[in-house]
Amino acid sequence: MKIAILSGKGGTGKTTLSVNLFSILNKGVLIDTDTEEPNSHIFLKGTNVSTSEVYKNHPVVNYEKCDFCGNCGDHCNFNAIIPTKTKVIVFEDLCHDCGFCEIVCPTGAISYKQKVIGTIHTKEITKNKKYHYGKLSIGEISGVRLIESLKEMTDNEETLIIDCPPGVSCSTVAAISNVDYAIVCAEPTPFGISDMKMVVELLREEDIKFGVVVNKSGIGNDDIYDYLKQEEIPLLAKIPFTKERALLYSNSKLITKYDLKFNEIMKDIVKITSGENHG
Amino acid sequence: MDINKIKIAICSNSDNAEGNVSNRFARCDFYTIYDSKTLGFTFVENTAKDSVSGAGAKAAKIVSTLGVDVVLVPELGPKAFEALEAFEIKAYQYGNKNYSVRDALYEFYENKLPELLNPSGKSKHS
Repeated sequence: MKIAILSGKGGTGKTTLSVNLFSILNKGVLIDTDTEEPNSHIFLKGTNVSTSEVYKNHPVVNYEKCDFCGNCGDHCNFNAIIPTKTKVIVFEDLCHDCGFCEIVCPTGAISYKQKVIGTIHTKEITKNKKYHYGKLSIGEISGVRLIESLKEMTDNEETLIIDCPPGVSCSTVAAISNVDYAIVCAEPTPFGISDMKMVVELLREEDIKFGVVVNKSGIGNDDIYDYLKQEEIPLLAKIPFTKERALLYSNSKLITKYDLKFNEIMKDIVKITSGENHG
Repeated sequence: MDINKIKIAICSNSDNAEGNVSNRFARCDFYTIYDSKTLGFTFVENTAKDSVSGAGAKAAKIVSTLGVDVVLVPELGPKAFEALEAFEIKAYQYGNKNYSVRDALYEFYENKLPELLNPSGKSKHS
């Protein structure tokens, strides 16, 4: 079963929930797809297995062949290639590597060059448990390629937990592809609810079954529970805010190892969500 | 450059020379084109405005297609600057002034607007 953990808003507890759920499983794989600021590995530790580079292509123009017709620029959706009368400007960071400019070039002046955009790190905790995380290089604007690589390498895993990026942009959409279930980790604040609504919209559009875990319950207000009831969204669990949990988190400790109540909540979530697989 | 034989594009909020200049180069609503040979104004809707990315370079391409020699801008990001340079279009800066398109044009002809020789702002939408 593949479970995505996402939130919309940042800092609601996606990684906390992901690594702690993962910690009580006997076997399985976790991927951290928040490639701009991955941090699951800070909690999970483990031994290094491998590090690999991920590439993206961008166009290079051969001026001996280019006749400055402008076709490439007319067909680029992202303005990554701008032909002028004397040269063709390529903005590597804007290129989405779609290949259209090469296809429409009548003189075959465009070829592609590879560039490293980030790395994927694989670590092993036990024989049956490992995790991968992607790290986007500084200056790169899109982690989608890295996320796609992470998804491809774990495509055949039986148990997969996906720690998603915040927001509802391309990265999140890539992270939730082909999942069986999604857990929305929300905090009961006006900001938490507002951002969660966008995630709910996204999951409904993608037709992914989901439930909500309210993290840090006791702070903010009760609006979130009214919203969930009104929208008929299952409330999977409430995790009360305690200072002890925040302290454990800030010391990069797994809360399940120190907090029996928290451990029980994680077990309940696993029970409910694994039931979703058969139901 | 003979300033009496050139076309000038001014970033504008409306299709009116008395309307205000825009505070965006690539994502302004209109380019007001002043033709110094005919002394006439034309107003061209900016189709680069809604680009997902790279609006600056696209905008440079648009004004180049319009035969413009000079643009009057609030500021320029690095991509817009590079593209304007490649299209051999000079940029003069009115900055954050809040006045009409015609005022900006007067200031240009009075030599009061500095030429932009480097990008003046950061990339807004990468």
